Amino acid sequence: MSTAIPALGGLNRTVLRVHRTALVFWVLAVTAAAAALIWMYVIGDEARGGIAACVSPPRDGGPSCAEIGSITADERYTDGIRVVTELIAYLMFPIAAWAGGVLVGRELESGTARLAWTQSVTPARWLATRLAVPAVLITAGISVLVALILLARGDGDPGLVGHWYQSEAFVSTGPTAVGHALAGLSLGALCGLLLGRALPAAGLSFAACLVLYNGLDRVREHLWPTATHTATDARTFQLPREALAVEWTYQGDRIVGATYHPPSHFRPIQYVETGILLALAAAATLAAFAVLRRRTP
Amino acid sequence: MTETAMEAAALGKTFGRRRRKDALDGCAFRLPAGSVCALVGPNGAGKSTLLSLAAGLQKPTDGTLTVLGHAPAAVRERLAYVAQDKPLHPQLTVDDTLRYGRELNPGRWDDRVAERIVDEGDLDRDARVRTLSGGQRTRVALALALGKRPELLLLDEPMADLDPLARHQLMATLMADAAEHGTTVVMSSHVVAELDGACDHLLLLGAGRVRLAGPLDDLLAAHRLVTGRADTSLDPHTVIESRTTGRQLTALVRPEGPLGDGWQSTAPTLEELVLAHLRAPQAPALSLDDRREAAV
Repeated sequence: MSTAIPALGGLNRTVLRVHRTALVFWVLAVTAAAAALIWMYVIGDEARGGIAACVSPPRDGGPSCAEIGSITADERYTDGIRVVTELIAYLMFPIAAWAGGVLVGRELESGTARLAWTQSVTPARWLATRLAVPAVLITAGISVLVALILLARGDGDPGLVGHWYQSEAFVSTGPTAVGHALAGLSLGALCGLLLGRALPAAGLSFAACLVLYNGLDRVREHLWPTATHTATDARTFQLPREALAVEWTYQGDRIVGATYHPPSHFRPIQYVETGILLALAAAATLAAFAVLRRRTP
Repeated sequence: MTETAMEAAALGKTFGRRRRKDALDGCAFRLPAGSVCALVGPNGAGKSTLLSLAAGLQKPTDGTLTVLGHAPAAVRERLAYVAQDKPLHPQLTVDDTLRYGRELNPGRWDDRVAERIVDEGDLDRDARVRTLSGGQRTRVALALALGKRPELLLLDEPMADLDPLARHQLMATLMADAAEHGTTVVMSSHVVAELDGACDHLLLLGAGRVRLAGPLDDLLAAHRLVTGRADTSLDPHTVIESRTTGRQLTALVRPEGPLGDGWQSTAPTLEELVLAHLRAPQAPALSLDDRREAAV
């Protein structure tokens, strides 16, 4: 199977061959998720029809509720989108555990890293390939999935696909999905190098990702300046559609204003968060190389 | 070809920060290129540490170790190392493992050498490494090491997992290959008999220090195994170890001139030389590198 890709360097090919199981698993997982998303795209229009307004009994040309109620595509669609959304959002956890445990930790523990270093590969090149090959495959796979999920979500009707600011939906629908996965990869590699043993490294990588994921979830609304909305009539205070309220202003027990993120803040927050994650990935990678350089000649 | 294959000066390696343990301490020796060196010593003497330093896997704490005229890390492609635990990727097949060696050593790899070692052991090339026995794994590990055509071959307890027949056969292959290509071999073992007849150089380590170093013939010639009456003095010769049975005394000595009358002397074997030094850790060290006598 590896001879089919002679264009890649020998060292890259050995990484793919040694981690063939992970490669096959990744290709199958991305293919299955992509197929599911294409299916969701196909039933998307029907699903949107299933949550349309209806009239019962039918009159004035409005759609009949019995007819709308017989459409079940919306449930399948909602469930399908939710499952793939969560899958993409949580990818950093298995990636980090794999990188810490299998990619680096186990190789140091079993001595196969030393084998590579005495087969003419410098430790720095060994680590560089070990990070670069999965990074390319992860970026490619997730980019495809993010593009497909945006396509499958259509107009992003919150009644079907959830709110844009919900944690999983936010993470899985933009470049931050790639940022999360790459941060997981490099954090895992760093944990693997620090601990040098498969199981503890996998555990520590997982824990580090748990902290990072939840930390970002908490600070996300502060990553971009909020908009302010003040009530013109205190009795009918209402935020614009699909706004994420950050802080309410009260007068007595009545809400008179709020700071919030309109849906248009999705992109800037995505970019800031992706920047943070990529900076963290770069820092973890540099730290991993520093640890390696200190330990090996 | 470099004249010196390996040279150590004041080489030291310490493990642990709080409870410091010296694995190697002030080691100095010189190994000429083309020699086959036996690295012997009791458990914990520092044999594995020395080989791993020479393979460029660890940094020395003190002193220097040069290999083929350079720092070990700078000549990775010219040296090969087989670690004691013979690490291999268990999920790869034998063929995949050989391909791994070929891909990591472009321009150096010799398929014929690697395949011959594997085939001599009747290994199924499609078998996964995890299904192989200890001896078969040793074969694959040696094939990886020899396939890259090293100028210096470092072997840490290479034959420990092999049955006597396979050991004999593999040793012959190894020595023939080394002789043919002028490879320098450093092989650690605590089975001294395994090394006899194969080695022309000896490096005996004890508690992290060099106890004996030099060409094997010179080291053997510098010692005599003597038998005589227990009440006769052995002065001024250096006595490494002596044993008295009744009124008879047997000793391994380094003669400092002609032995007196009344002593029957024979040349010691490698095993007798090594065992006497292992039993007598306080005996003075002897280094005959460059035929310069530098008794410490």
